[in-house]
Amino acid sequence: MRAARFLLGALGLGVLGWGAWLLLDQQDLAELRGVVVWLAGGVVVHDAVLAPLTLLVTAVGARVLPSSWQGAGARAVIVIGTVTLMAIPVLGRFGADYDPANATVLDRPYAAGWGAVVVLTLVAVAAHAGLRLGRRRAADPEA
Amino acid sequence: MSTTERPRSRPPLRPPTESDFSHRLRGAVVTARVGTWLGVCFLIAFVTGLISHYAQEPNQPIPFPTSPAWGYRVTQGLHIITGTAAVPLLLVKLWSVYPKLFAVPPKRARELAIEVAERASIAVLVAAAIFQLVSGLQNIAHWYTWPFSFRSVHYAVGWLVTGALLLHIAVKLPVIRGAYATPVRDDEPASPGSLDRRGLLRATWAATAVAVLATAGTTVPWLRRVSVLGVRSGDGPQGLPVNRSARAAGVTSRATSGRYTLEVVAGDRTVSLTRDDLLAMTQRTESLPIACVEGWSASAVWTGVRVRDLLDLVDAPRNSDVRVVSLQQRGAFGITHLPGNFADDDRTLLALALHGEPLALDHGYPARLIAPNRPGVLQTKWVTRLEVTA
Repeated sequence: MRAARFLLGALGLGVLGWGAWLLLDQQDLAELRGVVVWLAGGVVVHDAVLAPLTLLVTAVGARVLPSSWQGAGARAVIVIGTVTLMAIPVLGRFGADYDPANATVLDRPYAAGWGAVVVLTLVAVAAHAGLRLGRRRAADPEA
Repeated sequence: MSTTERPRSRPPLRPPTESDFSHRLRGAVVTARVGTWLGVCFLIAFVTGLISHYAQEPNQPIPFPTSPAWGYRVTQGLHIITGTAAVPLLLVKLWSVYPKLFAVPPKRARELAIEVAERASIAVLVAAAIFQLVSGLQNIAHWYTWPFSFRSVHYAVGWLVTGALLLHIAVKLPVIRGAYATPVRDDEPASPGSLDRRGLLRATWAATAVAVLATAGTTVPWLRRVSVLGVRSGDGPQGLPVNRSARAAGVTSRATSGRYTLEVVAGDRTVSLTRDDLLAMTQRTESLPIACVEGWSASAVWTGVRVRDLLDLVDAPRNSDVRVVSLQQRGAFGITHLPGNFADDDRTLLALALHGEPLALDHGYPARLIAPNRPGVLQTKWVTRLEVTA
């Protein structure tokens, strides 16, 4: 176990070092500056914006939602929140100007598609929560 | 009034510490299980990324194989699918360990040094992981906002994130083993309706499944109608998407002028052919996928002249590498390299027709290259010259 961990760690360090060398070797100084800004920027946006925002949403949900629906709220936030972040490039169609003559890229009605994902998720989450609530009431009529 | 008597209605403001966060759902039991699948996704994306990078490499010590024809379609489709699946997994994983960011560092020098080293490696891991997903998602949607070469940096950071991941697994192995020894259902929900650990994990798997189903139709035909957030619907001229239009490549006037000729060159021998000359040669029909580095792919039926038949016109020896020159002047793929094993493959065509109709201009009219198991960026369109190099 100790030896395996050591070997894995050493392999990791080697691979990491090769990646760092590739970065330094194949980019000029201006490009490297851009890489550093992008690498650090992602961490800053997550740690200083996205994570606190998630905590805020959690705190608001804990106050606003009745306790029996908080799990459902959390499920909805996990699915809708992460899928929305994943879809930002297509939702904003930010790449549409790159090759305007190409009508085969970013060619779906993304707002409607996103709306459908949101509605289906909410319906599924609510149905799941309703079923659980019903099962609990049936098992324990006093509750 | 002395300071000790001042009423203290609220505690003083201070930075949060690890213990300020709710730990009901956070902890190794969740982190290790989400992390395992995240690691699987990153490892598949890394291996398929290496394959794609190698396939585009002009100098290959071991020639990239021409079979199976659908190989690159599968590996690059997996690359984008696993990258997309990693988004919900990474977000939940980072959520589960976020309080550790605020852990009070140890005071003793030796422990502090270890802590700093581990935090540095995790900083590299998190930065590189976020970078790979963000830059990849932007790249497939043609949203280019960076001042560097995507291909070069995405490749290097792929090594960076894989190395940091292996190191992270090595460091955390005892924690991971302990987490798997603890059953997921070992916790009590705070109240009947609230989320427990099992519910959190199931919601995470559901989010991952939704992210994949909503996008994978760009490469999995039967998911096309479900993939409402896919970068492409799959439609296009002659039922096939286009990566770069003739207008963007700046070839429209030269491709449609009627003065088009194809030059086939080997040493001092040159043969010049018009499109009619090409149509008069033996026509072959092959069903071959077009598979883009951006992860979309589609199968299509191509008709045209075998590249090997063209090379035979100038007596090019077997296994000759060929330089393929496009009318396209702008962009990095105006000239591509066709290795000898691809040039000799019977399925490699200079296509003149797609699905039985003359090629659309955006698909490479008057003539384009189509070869099995080859990245889409190398399936050169508007081909005007085939030149034997070795």
